[in-house]
Amino acid sequence: MAIIERPSTPALAGSGAPAVVTPSQAYGVLKRPVSTTGWRSWVFTVDHKKLGIMYGVVAMFFFLVGGVEALLIRLQLAGPEGTVLSAGLYNEMFTMHATTMVFLFVMPMAAAFANYLVPLQIGARDVAFPRINAFGFWCFLAGGLFLNTSWLLGGAADGGWFMYQPNANALFSPSHGVDFWGLGLQITGIASLTGAINLIVTILNMRAPGMTLMKMPIFTWMILVIQFLLVFAIPVITVALFLLMFQREFGATFFDVSAGADPLLWQHLFWIFGHPEVYILVLPGFGIVSEVLPVFSRKPLFGYRFVVFSGAAIGFVGWGVWAHHMFASGLGPVSVAVFSVATMLIAIPTGVKIVNWTLTMWGGKIWFTTSMLFAIGLVVEFTIGGLSGVTHAVAPSDTQQTDTYYIVAHFHYTIFGGAVLGLFAGFYYWWPKMFGKMLSERLGKWNFWLMIIGMNLTFGPMHIIGLQGQPRRMMNWTEARAGEGFFNLGFWNRVASVGSFVIAIGVAVFLLNVWQTHKKSSKTPKAPLDPWDARSLEWMTASPPKEHNFDAIPTVHALDEFFHRKYEVDHDTGEVRKVATGEEILAAEEAKADKHIHLPSPSYWPIILAFALPLMGYGVIYNRLLIVAGGLVVLLAMFGWALEPSVADDSDYDPPADGGGSNKELATIG
Amino acid sequence: MAMWLFLGSECLLFGGLISTYMLYRGRHPADLGPDQIFDIPFTSVSSFVLLMSSLTMVLAVSAAAQKDDRRTNLWLTVTALLGATFVGGQVYEFTSFYREGLGFTSSLFSSSFYTLTGFHGVHVTVGIIMLMALVGINKRSSVPGDKAEVVELVGLYWHFVDVVWIIIFTLVYLIPS
Amino acid sequence: MLGLTAASAAVLAGCAKDAPQDTWQPKGENAQKIHDLQWPVFLVAGIVGVIVMVAVGYAVVRFRDKGQPMPEQSHGKPALEIALTILPALILVGVGIPTVSTIFDLADTSDTECIVNVTGQQWWWEYDYPAQEGCGGISDPIVTSGQLVIPANTNVLLRLTSRDVIHSFWIPALNGKKDTVPGRVHTLRMQANQPGIYAGQCTEFCGLSHANMKMEAVALNPDDFQTWVANQLESYVAPEAGSQAALGEAAFTANCAYCHQVNGLSSTAPDGTVTPVLANPDQFVVSGSAPNLTHLMTRNTFAGATWDLLTDECRDRVWNASPEEFGALYLQGVTAECLNAVDLREWIRNAPAKKPMYASDAQKANSGGKVRGMPALGLNETQIDQIIAYLLERN
Repeated sequence: MAIIERPSTPALAGSGAPAVVTPSQAYGVLKRPVSTTGWRSWVFTVDHKKLGIMYGVVAMFFFLVGGVEALLIRLQLAGPEGTVLSAGLYNEMFTMHATTMVFLFVMPMAAAFANYLVPLQIGARDVAFPRINAFGFWCFLAGGLFLNTSWLLGGAADGGWFMYQPNANALFSPSHGVDFWGLGLQITGIASLTGAINLIVTILNMRAPGMTLMKMPIFTWMILVIQFLLVFAIPVITVALFLLMFQREFGATFFDVSAGADPLLWQHLFWIFGHPEVYILVLPGFGIVSEVLPVFSRKPLFGYRFVVFSGAAIGFVGWGVWAHHMFASGLGPVSVAVFSVATMLIAIPTGVKIVNWTLTMWGGKIWFTTSMLFAIGLVVEFTIGGLSGVTHAVAPSDTQQTDTYYIVAHFHYTIFGGAVLGLFAGFYYWWPKMFGKMLSERLGKWNFWLMIIGMNLTFGPMHIIGLQGQPRRMMNWTEARAGEGFFNLGFWNRVASVGSFVIAIGVAVFLLNVWQTHKKSSKTPKAPLDPWDARSLEWMTASPPKEHNFDAIPTVHALDEFFHRKYEVDHDTGEVRKVATGEEILAAEEAKADKHIHLPSPSYWPIILAFALPLMGYGVIYNRLLIVAGGLVVLLAMFGWALEPSVADDSDYDPPADGGGSNKELATIG
Repeated sequence: MAMWLFLGSECLLFGGLISTYMLYRGRHPADLGPDQIFDIPFTSVSSFVLLMSSLTMVLAVSAAAQKDDRRTNLWLTVTALLGATFVGGQVYEFTSFYREGLGFTSSLFSSSFYTLTGFHGVHVTVGIIMLMALVGINKRSSVPGDKAEVVELVGLYWHFVDVVWIIIFTLVYLIPS
Repeated sequence: MLGLTAASAAVLAGCAKDAPQDTWQPKGENAQKIHDLQWPVFLVAGIVGVIVMVAVGYAVVRFRDKGQPMPEQSHGKPALEIALTILPALILVGVGIPTVSTIFDLADTSDTECIVNVTGQQWWWEYDYPAQEGCGGISDPIVTSGQLVIPANTNVLLRLTSRDVIHSFWIPALNGKKDTVPGRVHTLRMQANQPGIYAGQCTEFCGLSHANMKMEAVALNPDDFQTWVANQLESYVAPEAGSQAALGEAAFTANCAYCHQVNGLSSTAPDGTVTPVLANPDQFVVSGSAPNLTHLMTRNTFAGATWDLLTDECRDRVWNASPEEFGALYLQGVTAECLNAVDLREWIRNAPAKKPMYASDAQKANSGGKVRGMPALGLNETQIDQIIAYLLERN
């Protein structure tokens, strides 16, 4: 483990906050970065909290990029024969909208929450491999930027986010867009894979004493499930992307029908990754609302075990349903029947979750904060998305609906309604924890209602448009086939376009809220320590948490540990009495603070290593020499990394006897 | 544990590559297929070399566990050399296939064959770099952390790469198409 | 509440008489089977949705914070949980069994009696009818495009494939969609209960002009279908010497016949030898194919069924015809009065400007000198007039 602590010595106990040791001594090839303030403290940081915030900021930026792409799409489709975008640009737009939202917004935003909160929720001081964590973030940023430079370099990818072959091979998509897409996702894939391994090890190895798996906060549980999905899903898309790259850049013929290849190979590889990916997107949202609903209902999560097991079941069955994206692609009836039934199976654990959320609120004492509103919104909207999902689990019915707007409606209700609303619930809930400031509840409610109305205006009509037979990925629709009467395509397309701008205003209100909260940081009041009367461990420390998270690593006795320290339940009457405030509990913890907390030290290597990768990417596309240059940087950075212990020796501190340190990182990175 | 997770992930990577190969192994011109091109005795020898390197890796791990730096370094070096021999054999094999007319882009069979075995070769090469780095660092006796554990983890990776080769060798070379 | 709206909207969509691609108005037995399966599923999903929303709404209102004491810290009731797990499982079993049987029903093609090969390419569909006993008998192969003509009340077997990328064939009123994958042949059942015209669209993203790759299926009663077949097999009638159309034939031979086949067209060399003019789209087009124009004016659309060859008025007459009148009206084809010369003229003048295609010189360079779609031919207005006059006689 990278975190080294020594038990506090009794003589020093009670003498205030522990001294955080900052590295100062040179070690390895480069002098270690030592800044604790300014931009250097962010760029070279390995602190999971700073990385979490950076993940969040960058993901938010890409959310806006993807949002603008969505608005352009809706502008184009607001009227018949739209002329806002050319056909080519429209194809690039929807490809990049999906790619951006999936890979550069929802996944990294979930990573932001996971990075920030998992160590806090399990009572750890950092993740297992802090430098790998930093490397993951820089890979994500480098990959995302690399992907988007394609706009300036001859056009972005135009094959749809699923990049079906052979339409995305060099003959049919001659710009470099698809190359940028493949290589960019390869780089962000490294971020996901390293992040996943890191978080799994963190969760399994670094929980506070007493926290058994079944006492672990539900958000951490869902994150654990997602990371397992990532570990096994990412390599499959890696293979697919390598085959794509070899095909486009090195003349191989994996998907070239004239050479005898089978284009369905790509579809299988893509969806074996792509379906678990869907759950990778929604499970963080599920985890967040499973935290938020109990807190604001003042009740424990109903059927915690069922929620945990259903989450795991979704993760597991999620592997057996990929071909339901291919019901129309000409699989035999036996495969179609099997995948159809398997897909229905997945509705069961999903239903369990919705039931449990509803029953969590049942009999509670509900406090309608913005966060709670988003959580309730998720339960309602996701239910719609889930049920429309059942209608096309029925394969024959799906042959009418697939590749129409009905599907677009379905997955926006699940991903926007499930993942995005969940993430916004998380923003409002954890904002005071992360920044020590409360977001305005008044603006928050505006934000909520605009987004919820906007999403139903945008995606609700798409059910109708789809059932009326409007296919997806169409640069325009024509009056001739729009029909008349209540269900005519023209009216509902306009409604959807208006709705998309309502969502945009909602997002703008959120940004305004953030700006207002932080513009005069010194004047706005500090958030209370425990503003929501929360239940889990991350609230049992300062807001924002100190660099070392906890003064003393808490010992856990129960699920909802923090709640049980604050409240006493009378077992005879069921009466719940408050026995302590958060401040008192924190003071008690501080009193037994650990001494000599040794934190992982900042490092130059993660960012250097990560930015060598897009260099190699440009090399693949433009000049093979750059690959060599990038490869050399990678090798050097790895050596530098391997030689540098994760915790700097410090002259005023003797290294701990057990050696500790970074051995596992060395092995993982090689 | 991280290494185990990583290797789990690698299983799917090779799984995908092997599936691709199995799908396309029969798609080649009649005179340039696996049956014509493979030199089984030669590949058997190099496979045996790689297998032996697993044995020397075990020796290195046990030496490290006994904190015997000299023997650890020795066996690590031998492992790396055996690995390098294997990679050398692969390079030779590729060159001779190429001379016989089997380019990377010749057929679906050749593309998927080179991709699969090439990926494996890269894994072996990475393993060799890890071994050499370990020896180098060990000589400077500045291995961060627990030395035996590091050696064991590198060993785990090495054995994995070895096992993958046994699977590839069986599926690609031994089973007739 | 919104789910209710969505669900009821979905149900109501079945009753509306509007968009021609409405998936809730089956006009053939295959689509009917799908419909019989899907509406109960939508209904059940709608009911479940309403129950969930009522429950959530009730909980939210009933258990809002009214100053009540802290609730009991109950962690759940396993019996209730298990019951609420089994209930949806039972519903899904109820949905699953008919689903599986319908899947196998729709995949069975043993009772089909008429074969049409369907080939997708960027961005139009080709239909070719092998000579067969089926379909009431077709003596020689027929190649056409734009509109799939089938006998009504007949189980037709479509054999689907593609010449370039993956497309998807979909006539919502007649059956669900099926992808057309290069290198593979998929089968799809088709049957229309009565004569009429049914709209569809390519539904697998296939590149630049995916939105402009449409199709129409035309069902004729068996007698009318035989008339149609006979017409398709009629031999070439050369334009009257010296007419506008005759000049058009020359312009067509010089400019269009490289790619577009007109069966029976021939050229006469100065020495009097007559050679048939054979199109060679392989040389010029990536997919290696261009629509056969032998009987262009028997179909009502062109350019991937994106534009009509009929004026709006004539088009409406065909689309709104009763099943009894439809056949006769359709078999009239495109007459001089009904010709939509505006779109056709624009198309011949500069096709890529009208429909995004991949046909400029710069773009051609990226795909081995071949076009995807139809290039701008640089014809002058006189030539265009002549060609249109010539095409008008291809009936």
